[in-house]
Amino acid sequence: MAADPSAAAAPADPDGPDAVRFTWNAWPRSKVEASRCVVPLAAAISPVRSPESLASPPLPYPPLRCKPPCSALLNPFARVDFTAKIWICPLCFSRNHFPPHYAGISENNVPAELFTQCSTVEYLVAGPPGSPAPLPPVFLFVIDTCVIEEELEYVKLSMRKAVALLPEHALVGLVTFGTQVHLHELGFCELSKIYVFRGSKEISKEQILDQLGLSGGGRPGFPKMTQQPGVQQVNGMHPLVTTGVNRFLLPVSECECTLSTLLDELQPDQWPVEAGNRAIRCTGVALNVAAGLLGACVPGTGARIIALLGGPCTEGPGVIVSKDLSEPVRSHKDLDKDAAPHFQKAVKFYDGLAKQLVSQGHVLDVFASALDQVGLAEMKLAIERTGGLVVLSESFGHSVFKDSFKRIFEGGEHSLGLSFNGTFEINCSKDIKVQGVIGPCTSLEKKGALCADTIVGQGNTTAWKMCGLDRNTSLTVFFDVSPSERSGQPGHQNPDLYIQFVTSYQHPEGQMRIRATTVSRKWVDGSTNTEELVEGFDQETAAVVLARYISLKMEIEEEFDATRWLDRSLIRLCSRFGDYRKDDPSSFSLHSNFSLFPQFMFNLRRSQFVQVFNNSPDETAYFRMLLNRESVTNSVAMIQPSLISFSFDSPPSPVFLDVASIAVDRILLLDAYFSVVIFHGMTIAQWRNMCYQNQPEHQQFAQLLQAPQEEAQVIINGRFPVPRLVVCDQHGSQARFLLAKLNPSATYNSAHDVPPGSDIIFTDDVSFQVFCEHLQRLAVQS
Amino acid sequence: VDVNGLPRPLYGDEEPAKVLEAFPLNCHPRYFRLTTHTIPASQSLVSRWHLPLGAVVHPLAEAPDGEEVPVVNFGSAGVIRCRRCRTYINPYATFADAGRKWRCNLCTLLNDVPGEYFCALDASGRRFDADQRPELSKGTVEFVAPTEYMVRPPMPPSYFFLIDVSVSAVRSGLLEVVAKTIKSCLDDLLGNPRTQIGFLTFDSTLHFHNFKSSLSQPQMMVVADLDDVFLPLPDDLLVNLVDSRPVVESFLDNLPNMFQDNVNVESALGPALKAAFMVMGQIGGKLLVFQSTLPSLGIGRLRLRGDDVRAYGTDKEHILRIPEDPFYKQMAAEFTKNQIAVDIFSLSDKYCDIASLGSLAKYTGGQVYHYPSFQATTHGEKLKHELSRDLTRETAWESVMRIRCGKGVRFTTYHGHFMLRSTDLLALPAVDSDKAFAMQLSLEETLMTTQTVYFQVALLYTSSSGERRIRVHTAAAPVVTDLGEMYRQADTGAIVSVLARIAVENSLSDKLDSVRQQLQLKLVKSLKEYRNLYVVQHRIGGRLIYPESLRYLPLYILALCKSLALRGGYADVSLDERCAAGFSMMILPARRLLNFIYPSLYRLDEVLTVEPDMIDGALKRLPLTLQCLDTAGLYLLDDGFTFLVWLGRMLQPELMNDILGVSLSNFPDLSKIQLRECDNNHSRNFMAVQRALRERDSSCYQLPRVVRQGEQPREGFLLLSNLVEDQMAGTSSYMDWILQIHRQTQSS
Ligand SMILES: [Zn+2]
Ligand SMILES: [Zn+2]
Repeated sequence: MAADPSAAAAPADPDGPDAVRFTWNAWPRSKVEASRCVVPLAAAISPVRSPESLASPPLPYPPLRCKPPCSALLNPFARVDFTAKIWICPLCFSRNHFPPHYAGISENNVPAELFTQCSTVEYLVAGPPGSPAPLPPVFLFVIDTCVIEEELEYVKLSMRKAVALLPEHALVGLVTFGTQVHLHELGFCELSKIYVFRGSKEISKEQILDQLGLSGGGRPGFPKMTQQPGVQQVNGMHPLVTTGVNRFLLPVSECECTLSTLLDELQPDQWPVEAGNRAIRCTGVALNVAAGLLGACVPGTGARIIALLGGPCTEGPGVIVSKDLSEPVRSHKDLDKDAAPHFQKAVKFYDGLAKQLVSQGHVLDVFASALDQVGLAEMKLAIERTGGLVVLSESFGHSVFKDSFKRIFEGGEHSLGLSFNGTFEINCSKDIKVQGVIGPCTSLEKKGALCADTIVGQGNTTAWKMCGLDRNTSLTVFFDVSPSERSGQPGHQNPDLYIQFVTSYQHPEGQMRIRATTVSRKWVDGSTNTEELVEGFDQETAAVVLARYISLKMEIEEEFDATRWLDRSLIRLCSRFGDYRKDDPSSFSLHSNFSLFPQFMFNLRRSQFVQVFNNSPDETAYFRMLLNRESVTNSVAMIQPSLISFSFDSPPSPVFLDVASIAVDRILLLDAYFSVVIFHGMTIAQWRNMCYQNQPEHQQFAQLLQAPQEEAQVIINGRFPVPRLVVCDQHGSQARFLLAKLNPSATYNSAHDVPPGSDIIFTDDVSFQVFCEHLQRLAVQS
Repeated sequence: VDVNGLPRPLYGDEEPAKVLEAFPLNCHPRYFRLTTHTIPASQSLVSRWHLPLGAVVHPLAEAPDGEEVPVVNFGSAGVIRCRRCRTYINPYATFADAGRKWRCNLCTLLNDVPGEYFCALDASGRRFDADQRPELSKGTVEFVAPTEYMVRPPMPPSYFFLIDVSVSAVRSGLLEVVAKTIKSCLDDLLGNPRTQIGFLTFDSTLHFHNFKSSLSQPQMMVVADLDDVFLPLPDDLLVNLVDSRPVVESFLDNLPNMFQDNVNVESALGPALKAAFMVMGQIGGKLLVFQSTLPSLGIGRLRLRGDDVRAYGTDKEHILRIPEDPFYKQMAAEFTKNQIAVDIFSLSDKYCDIASLGSLAKYTGGQVYHYPSFQATTHGEKLKHELSRDLTRETAWESVMRIRCGKGVRFTTYHGHFMLRSTDLLALPAVDSDKAFAMQLSLEETLMTTQTVYFQVALLYTSSSGERRIRVHTAAAPVVTDLGEMYRQADTGAIVSVLARIAVENSLSDKLDSVRQQLQLKLVKSLKEYRNLYVVQHRIGGRLIYPESLRYLPLYILALCKSLALRGGYADVSLDERCAAGFSMMILPARRLLNFIYPSLYRLDEVLTVEPDMIDGALKRLPLTLQCLDTAGLYLLDDGFTFLVWLGRMLQPELMNDILGVSLSNFPDLSKIQLRECDNNHSRNFMAVQRALRERDSSCYQLPRVVRQGEQPREGFLLLSNLVEDQMAGTSSYMDWILQIHRQTQSS
């Protein structure tokens, strides 16, 4: 019964074996104390991060649960009375009897879920005997054909690769669209058969099903899809739905040829585009149709809509801009001034789509590849609520698209571990309330005693739907402390708090699994124990949580001034936790647990998350969606890129994210998450242009040139979406990709003390030094 | 009265060719014939002519043997027409002022002769070049129309097929016949290399087909939004046949398989028509609709109206025979406006409301083909021939027809398949040699002042080769003051053609019984008038007298009353068959109409033994009465649509087996038998007979059906109902009819 916990050795994981990181690892007991901590009590968790890192292989039996309403899963923190065959739930202290099949347990025979290393454990959930075989994953491709021939050829190339990579049993469907929507009936082998939908008209799910002959009642003219005895199940699905499945969604092995012909003959949209107009593109109806089809054919089983978009929606529901080219696509300024006439309507449409997809358990992935915006800002809801993937690039020929797209179909060590149909639940000790979750999920509206009054993100629930989730998927849970009267009394106080995250999901291989992570943290009593709080502060997590928190506030609160809010929070935090003498800035110092925090905040203020006006609304939406779904480590890189210097003098080493780090004889490697920049100092660039690297006597130079390239490749290989690689030279036009991220310690305002060979940045932004001076001054003010 | 002495039209229609003796410059009467080749000089004379005063026009009739319609190109002179009444120059125009002027024979206006057209006159005032110029010497001529006669460039001939692929169409084998036939006709479609072609199949959804020439195979695009039909492609739904030939052929090869497993029972014909309109609207052309079940979805859905026995004899009876939903007529109007002609191929084994569907053909110059209980195995050959003919017969496209007539007379009503665009302009999106029209005349003034009245039929159309043409038929008729002359010049074929069309139209607003009574009344009044005219001077007492010209009229009217369209009441003819026959009668040229109501009956057993080249001559028509049928004989009845083969009870079994190819005892169900040529002389001759009869008129393919004497009920409705001279339930025999008419003409 017990699995050998030593079987799988956990590789080092920056986010820990449980993939749970708290802003505070020691929690104040009172609301007042919690609010004085400034940074909210929150946890970033990756619910299905790398199963290989688990201490135990999946347990082939269902978990034991505490009696309702707690229902927490048995975990290593439970106290077990082996003689009485009783376990005591650490969350609610209920006593639970072990069921008969646990009769064999003893001190020497402990089930794996009680092993201390197994604070995170996974269960295989087998259905009742005779239940359907593991579900095949379903991929419904939605391809924009309002693109130029060249772009469409790139799409076809990528699609062919994808089809070749898909597991044979995976079900595939194809929707193409432009002015109208084409749903390809892959199961019609005589010739290519396409269902066509008007692009200009919102179409209800029922109408779609009716038109496809998939509606439950049976459309007149179609045989009623009643179950006949002896009808074989197809693809493990109920015969009721197989008619639709067989027609529109087929196992790759059966439709590879059809797909290949279809792709060969796929042409750019045939409808003419009038001069001075944009192409008529009905993205909204296309997604509508795709969602309707999945809803009819495979409700409740893992399926994803993979949309490849080449431009903005200009027709039907979801329009983001009119056909007239003289009307530009909305900017942040337009949104701010309420001058984006289509925005609210489109958002409402995608909100509806999101609800439909969530209720069906399906995912929307968007690969936007266009020079113009495609409407990610409007679609954000539908992508994020369903846990969809999103990739933004300039062209379907760009490696950001090509390599990212390929990645989602790859198996093995590069696999993203795309999982489906997840449900995320939280159980926790009394006195802890859940405010909500930021991240790729939707509230299941399971209200309960655990719900806090204050809501952050998807709140007022203790369960969330995650239609799509993968190894990278991360959620941020916001907590509140709310001590009851009884727990305030001495003697009743428990020194530890427990939080359990339970995720059930459809594994890429098809079976349902339950992952449970139970963590324990310390309560800190009273206001005196600042030291314990400081010891428990995780500044990286705190920076990321704040970034997510203010991004949310910027989206939902009009007139929210993020910079001001961040400044005030930072000052309060430094006032509370810094060491200083009142009104003496020079005396100010911070504990090492806080030392990086001001720089994080400095860079956050300058980042794409706060300075949105430098980007399009689509880019902002894109950055925020990734910020919300990535691990803490990756998210930190988005806020504060890392900079590594390569030179002859020293081994590759991190350097300050500062313009002063530029030198003529250095190569800098910047990892800003979305882009990776290799920056050659002027001298290096000159040598390279003179091809020294090709001369045998300059082997070392060749190696120096090569090293950052290799390092960049490592970063690119391990990341989804694949970042954009920029290789540039000092003073070259592409150098802005680096300069924009650097601390402007030398600007044209301070150009007099620039060391020779260095660079200056043309900006009015304050430098980090100035920022810190201000901070110290304000923090120590009484 | 001796029944054998009664007149019978055993030589069919008698074309009034003698008119040409009096009026040699007239067009041949097969293009234009008046019900009497006279114009009464006064209203009072008209009121004593109780038969219709009108004409039958068959503008594209096949030219008489050895003749060809001459084509005239006026070049820079432009088409010579009267300035006032727009009459085209014709042999009856006269020249004056030494050839510098010409006088319009219709309105008498003196027109200038254009310089390019000038020619000097001879002493008699005739142009010297009159004999060299067809327009001055021939009653029928075709003008090449200059660009002023075009509202747009002539469109290429286009064929769009709307094919029902619901389960009944699949099961009947319809798809295979249609696909194979169309494929076999691809080389012969009109307008090569400009021909356009397209297909739309439908059941409960619409299936467009993309024939883009670069595709390796066609693409089927399903549109299921029946409430708001739209096109799935901007182009490539109606394509140039030459460019897309491989894709079209691939489609036709695949069509039967594509739907072989279709279990859909619905028909969204209305939305399909809308879709077809959207595809064809720009170009126009022919729309061929193949319908095998009652339209059940979307706009234009029809209900099973049922042939209700209780409706018969009431003033609601006719409602069954008219469209229930105005959609079809509205759609037809749209089609005509956009130069689209609709042919309906109805192939249902159940009621499919021909009354409604047919109105599409009625107002677009189209045609209704009805194949009750269609099965490819039995009806395939007929469908194949008729569809082939429909696709390959010479057709005039984008046409309009107007019939002008001289001062004092006016055409008041038109009967046939067309849409009346103004009071006298017939819009005909397509017209061909299988369509004839009828019309009625009235006098505008109480007294005619001219000696002669001229008529000119002008059909402006686009030829298949893309030329704009005007076909002009001109005819003159004398104005008479003598009723007797009107009787002498009466044309039974034309009269029956007009009467039949009027009767069919009346049946759409009246009880069948009243329609028949009106026919009878006209006959009686006419004969009574004639009697009154001559009884005194000839002292003929109690005999029934009639003019020689109308000797067959009583029998034809009896036959008309017994025709499919007008016969009996409930259950005598299925509603769809009745309506289909009505639609056919509205377009049939006189000869075919007469043969349809009084079919040809031949005894064959003797013919089957003659030399094959003697067969045609050996075929002798017999009176349509059971008395003519010898129980030892083999007979064939030809109504132009069907060959009915009747096997006498005492027919030699050997002969019977020879022609059937099987022994009757092994094959008791004659309704399923298919006649094929067998390896014996009887069979070969039997086939030769059929071929010979079909050659006489190729516009229709007579499907052979075999019935044995005494085989009920088939013998009843297949043969006996066609023996129009015999008495049947509620109808008179020829003899009784004559006696009855006689009695009525004598009563005051
Ligand atoms: Zn519990
Ligand atoms: Zn005139």
